Order: sequence, then C-alpha cells, then structure tokens
Amino acid sequence: MTAPASPLTAGDVREALRDVIDPELGYNIVDLGLVYDIGIEDGLIDVRMTMTTPGCPAQDYIVTGVERRLADVAGVTGVFVTVVWSPAWSPRMMSPSAKAHFRIREDGE
Amino acid sequence: MNASSDRLSRWTPVMFACALINLCLGLLLAVSGLAWPAASAGAPATLAMVHLLAIGWLTLMMFGALFQFAPVITGRRLRSQALALVTLIGVQAGLALMVGGFGALGRAAWADRLLPAGGTVVTAALLVGSATLLVPLIARRPVPLSARFVMVGLGFLLLTVVLGVTLALALTIPATVPLLAPLLAGGLSSHMLAGLGGWFTLTAIGVSYELLPMFMLAPHERGVVGIAILWSGGAGFLAAYAAGLASAVAAAGWIAAVGQAGELAILFAVALYLGDVVRLYRGRRRRQIELHNRAAIGAFVALGLAVLLAAGAAAAGRLAELAPSLLVLLLLGWLSGLGLTQLYKIVAFLAWLSRYGGRLGRGPVPRVQDLVNERGAAVLFVLYFAAVALAAGAAAFGLADAVRAALALALVAVLLLAREYARAWRATYAQRAAAAGPRSLVPSPLVRQGDR
Ligand code: HEM
Repeated sequence: MTAPASPLTAGDVREALRDVIDPELGYNIVDLGLVYDIGIEDGLIDVRMTMTTPGCPAQDYIVTGVERRLADVAGVTGVFVTVVWSPAWSPRMMSPSAKAHFRIREDGE
Repeated sequence: MNASSDRLSRWTPVMFACALINLCLGLLLAVSGLAWPAASAGAPATLAMVHLLAIGWLTLMMFGALFQFAPVITGRRLRSQALALVTLIGVQAGLALMVGGFGALGRAAWADRLLPAGGTVVTAALLVGSATLLVPLIARRPVPLSARFVMVGLGFLLLTVVLGVTLALALTIPATVPLLAPLLAGGLSSHMLAGLGGWFTLTAIGVSYELLPMFMLAPHERGVVGIAILWSGGAGFLAAYAAGLASAVAAAGWIAAVGQAGELAILFAVALYLGDVVRLYRGRRRRQIELHNRAAIGAFVALGLAVLLAAGAAAAGRLAELAPSLLVLLLLGWLSGLGLTQLYKIVAFLAWLSRYGGRLGRGPVPRVQDLVNERGAAVLFVLYFAAVALAAGAAAFGLADAVRAALALALVAVLLLAREYARAWRATYAQRAAAAGPRSLVPSPLVRQGDR
C-alpha cells in the first residue's frame, strides 16, 4: 500500500462502500443504512454494519465484499467487519435517495 | 470453495428441478385422460397423479426450500449436505416405486408389493430429511415462530406418510386388513387432512412468515396472532385427524364433536392467517412489491376460496361432490401457486449467490432483479391462476373435458415458468443485459447515487 496523499476519512470509506450492494434490494449498502459505524485508526478500518434480515443468506458474501472493496482503498492496511443486530435495521435508516427509489415515505413508514 | 459457499444448500436446485418434473408428470396424467377427471377419484392412475403432486412436487420442493431456509431462519448451518442428497434420492426412488405400485394395483401379487415398499422408502427418506432439518431448527432459543410452524408441519408429515403406508398395506395385502381395519374407514380423510393441512399448509404458513416480510420489508414480528394460528391450526388438524381414525372404532358422539371442534379450529386458524397476510401486505415498507409477492396473492385467494367452499359444502352436505374442486383449489391453487411464485424468487436469489456472491466488492455485479424478466413472467402467472380457477370451476360442475383443457393450460404455464427459472439460474437475462452494454450493471447512476 502506498501512503495516502491525505489521511483516510470515514467519507472515503463510505464512498468506497457504495460499490457494494445488497443483492436482494439491489442498492448499495451505505444508502440502505446498513453501515452503522466506521472507525479508522492509522490504516486499520473497523466497520460495524448490519443486514436487512438476520441470517440473510447473502451475509457472508456481503461481508467479504466489504473487506475486498476496502482492501483496495489506498492507505488501508487492515479491515475488520462486525455484523451487529442491535439496533435492528429498518427502512427508516435509508438515505433519502434510497427511500425515494423504494417509494418509502420520508419517515420510513 | 470458500467459507461463504456453505450458506448455500447444494442440492436445493436439483430438488427444485426434480420437483418441477414431477409436477409436469402429474398434470400430464390428468390431461392425458389416464387419471382424474377422466377416471374416478379413487382410480389407480388418479392416486399416482395425486402422489406425484403431493410427494414429488410439493414435498420435494418444500424440502428443497427448507434445506436452504432452515439455516436462514435459525442462523445455524445444516449439519450435512449429503443427507439432503439422500433425502432427494430416497424420495424420488420411493415415489417411482409408489407410482409403479399404483399402476400395478390388483395385477400381480409381486407388483402389489411395490406400493407399500415405495411408501416405506419415501417415509425413510423423509425421516432423514426431517432429522437433518430439526437439528438447526431446535438449536436456536427461543425457537422462532416460523421454525415452530415447520416443526409442527414435519410432525404432521410423519403422521401422513405412516398412515399412507398403512393404507397401502391394506390395499395390497388383504391379509393385513383385519389387523388394520380400525384405521381404514377413517384413514383416507385423516391421511389427506394431515398431508394437505398439517404438513403443507402449516409449513407453508411458516415459510411465508419468513419470506413475505423479508422481501416486502414488513415487520417480522407476528405477535399473538402468529401463536394463535399455530396452536389453533396445529390442535385443529390433530383433533380432526384423531377423530377421523377414532370414528372407525367407535361411533361415539363425543368423537364426532371433537372432529367438528377440530374443523372449526382449522377454519379459525386459516381465517386468522389470511387476515394476517393482508396486514402484512398493508404493513410493507416496500411500496412496489416484486412479482413473486404480487402473484402470490393468487395463492392466498385460492386458499380463501377453498375454505369458503369447504365450509359451504359441508353445511349443505355436498362435501363429497365438491371434493375434486376443493383439491384443485388447495393442491394447485394454494400450495402449488405459492410454490411456483416463491420459486421464482428463490431460484433467482440462489443463482445470484452462487454466480455473483463471490464477486461482490471486486467490481460491478448485477442485482437479483436483473436475473429475471418480471414482465414476461407476470403473464405466465396470470395464465396459471386463471387455468386453475377454470379447472376448479369446471370440476364443480363435473365437466371433465373442460377440466382437462384447463389443466393443459396450467401445464403450459408451468412449462414456460420452468423455462423462466432456468433462465434465471443460468443468468440469461443478466448476461444479455451485460452484452448490451456495461452501463446496465451496477454501480449504475441510480444505485451508486449518494446523498451528500
Ligand atoms: C406428503 C405425503 C402425502 C400426501 C400429501 C398424500 C395425499 C393423499 C391424498 C390427497 C389422497 C387422496 C387421493 C384420492 O382420493 O384421489 C391419498 C390417498 C392415498 N395415499 Fe397418500 N399422501 C401422501 C403420502 C403417502 C404415502 C407415503 C403413501 C404410501 C404408500 C400413501 C398412500 C396412499 C394410499 C394407499 C391412498 C389411497 C387410499 C384409499 O383410496 O383408500 N400416501 N394420499
């Protein structure tokens, strides 16, 4: 890995993760609101995320997809993904564009 | 093989393919004039057709789906993929013997042994499959509602097949009849009730409680209504089953009362369930629902119609006369309809996981939706449910030729749907789109779009 020109930000990580989709909903995991938290320490990235459904059959693929995508980001030396179920994901957590795409009202109801 | 691949049930796609072939064979028996409606309801070819549908199509499809979804429901992995293959081979081989056995009924003594032998092989295979499923299902505490439905359903499957083998022994080995006599008189209705109701319907309810919320983004939690459906349905089917058998031994009034209470409990459970399904669809967060869940409405309507028809016919004392219509609505409308519509999604989903799952994060991949062509398939589902409605209507009026024509239409719809499943499995549509231009693959502007 080459040293980054400027330090890595959570924004950069989010941007990269927009390349990973939830295959079922067909939308990127960031705008779906599945990525809860991103921690960065030096080149190590901690991603706390969830799935739309517990036991989602695509879970392992999505986690591996996140690891792979971030490993390609300049300056990243390690990626740790933790899948959490609390708080449970709800469509309320989607970004406005995702809500509009799925025709879900702003309040998520 | 990477770690991800054991989330996939390896034999499920093969089970689905075998199940669809059995469905087509069953419909072909009806259309050809060998079985009902041209032959009587109890004719050997009719029994072969019914079991091709019940065991070969519905049971095999259900097991294929459960092998994939039991781990999803519970978050535990299946112990063994090989046992799923054992189940598949056993069911398919035993069913072939059973069909041969029905065909040979009354021909030669050795041929008659085929039926009970085949039934025993099927029973053993289903026990293996059930045990494989139960391991993950009971492992998680608290046991999720959908898993409880499946466990109760598997119990009824056991009651169904054991009674089926008993009936087969009595039919083929007259010497056993005196021993089995108490089971014979009420046996057939109990066998049908446990199979179509306790096994298929309760399990389908459980699986639908998993799949409908998952794909419609509706709340999973069914609360007290879900529990009430499980208890009322489970106890109702059990009471009706036991009363059917007991009535052969003693004609006591209380036995009949238990049977009637059971039937009322079943009605109550189905009505509650249908109401809950309406609540689920209304409570969905995903406004625009996908084809498999739009088309599934046809199956729910068939279930509702079947229950109304059964209640009305029983009240009017015309149950026997309307039984064929009821069976068409339940077997082809409700159970097969739900199966065909959900397969449309499950096949695409499994195809995506096995083809593109490993490519996630490495570059653009299609969405699950890109593997199907909903507009084309929508017409096929309309055709299928219309054909089933016609067949049920014609059966009510005893119009055998019209029933056959309608079932031929249903067969065409199934064949064309099978082609759609195969296209989804081979990712034909996604590859066509990819060949048309890389822009159709994600990240597309739509999907990639952020909110900054
Ligand atoms: C999922 C499992 C099963 C289901 C849903 C099922 C369903 C049915 C249905 C609906 C009928 C009535 C058909 C008609 O009257 O036209 C029937 C009859 C019958 N079934 Fe099954 N069956 C199952 C398994 C079995 C098995 C494993 C056997 C063992 C050989 C079996 C043996 C029979 C026999 C012998 C009859 C005719 C009984 C008579 O006419 O007295 N069934 N079954």
